[in-house]
Amino acid sequence: MNIQKLNVCMDILKKDLGEGFVASCIITTEDGQVLVATDQANIAEATLLNDATAFIRNALKTYPAELGQYYYIDVAGNMAVLVIPFGDYQWTITVNKKLVKLGLLLNVVLPAIINAFEDAVVS
Amino acid sequence: MNKDFKLIIDNEDLESPPATESAIKDELQRWPLFGLSVGSFLQVIAMERQTCIMEVYLNTNHWGHFCFVEGELYDAVYGELHGEMAAMEMISWENVRLNIKQILNTSGIVRRIDKNLMLLLMESSRRRDEVQENGDHDHLEDADGIEDMEIVIDDVERAKLSACLSIMSKEMGDALTAASIANMNEGKVMASYHAPAEAAEAFLRLTKYLKNAFSANMSVELGDHFILSLKDQQTLVALMIGDYQWCVVFNHAKCTLGLLRNVIMPKVIKTLNDMNIE
Repeated sequence: MNIQKLNVCMDILKKDLGEGFVASCIITTEDGQVLVATDQANIAEATLLNDATAFIRNALKTYPAELGQYYYIDVAGNMAVLVIPFGDYQWTITVNKKLVKLGLLLNVVLPAIINAFEDAVVS
Repeated sequence: MNKDFKLIIDNEDLESPPATESAIKDELQRWPLFGLSVGSFLQVIAMERQTCIMEVYLNTNHWGHFCFVEGELYDAVYGELHGEMAAMEMISWENVRLNIKQILNTSGIVRRIDKNLMLLLMESSRRRDEVQENGDHDHLEDADGIEDMEIVIDDVERAKLSACLSIMSKEMGDALTAASIANMNEGKVMASYHAPAEAAEAFLRLTKYLKNAFSANMSVELGDHFILSLKDQQTLVALMIGDYQWCVVFNHAKCTLGLLRNVIMPKVIKTLNDMNIE
């Protein structure tokens, strides 16, 4: 894990999302501890979503199917949460969905930050 | 689906139904799908876009068949009746025996039924309601009567939602992997397409978990959908619409998320709303 590269991930994210960026947090899935977080990050949310990921993985076994690179949760009001589980780490990103189009988020921003995240994790 | 059909393929004695009651009883116990209503099975065939003859056997005096071409109901025969009249008679039958014969050549088949299957099912439900209302009003005040009414309403709702999944299946083709609609308040799976009931139930629990987690710990409410990226180019979209949770698993290489959200789902929801108005 390269912390400098993780910070670079955050910078890429903020730049790509612009005003649509609200907060972000990277935690370890093992113990839910925070590695990197921005000012507005909701740590409780990130930790709960760590449990949610486990819940989702179990629910998917019933199809059966496996969770892929991300999941996106719509929140009432202006917010939405994008979660990227990656091995021992999980990246939670809160966006203002009124300012960031879902297509842009999933098709442009996500591939770019996943690459950066993978690079940071394996370094 | 073909595998399921094999369970009930037994055409040998349809022309000469079992002679004795004990023979019928023995026969019925042998059928794994005994107990289905005709309406339910018609929807399955329509959804699977089967080209087949579905023979229906209620008892020695009441039997007939439906003819499907690529999931469209073309004809029905019951005694002297043909087409829509025959279909309307048989749709309301419950606890029937079913036989399926695949049709290899459709060139000679004449279409006698133009109405959409869903409309026939709705009409059948409406007639059933009328018969029930006219038959004995006092019954409705009894617990059994109320329960019967609830079952009828439930059946109508299930038929509508199944029709929605059928439309979705037609629109998405082989991009649709599985879909289900479950009532969030009652925790009941109302309609499904290739989706195991336990999957729909598991996602109801997940939604409940997320709702609680968001409202209790984050002071925000869960919105009306979530999207899961899955392996093998699959995506799961869960939509909370009114009392229902729709879970749709599809191949995003064959059908984009945008197409599902902006074209297919609005069309399906519009159909559901239209059916509710009718």
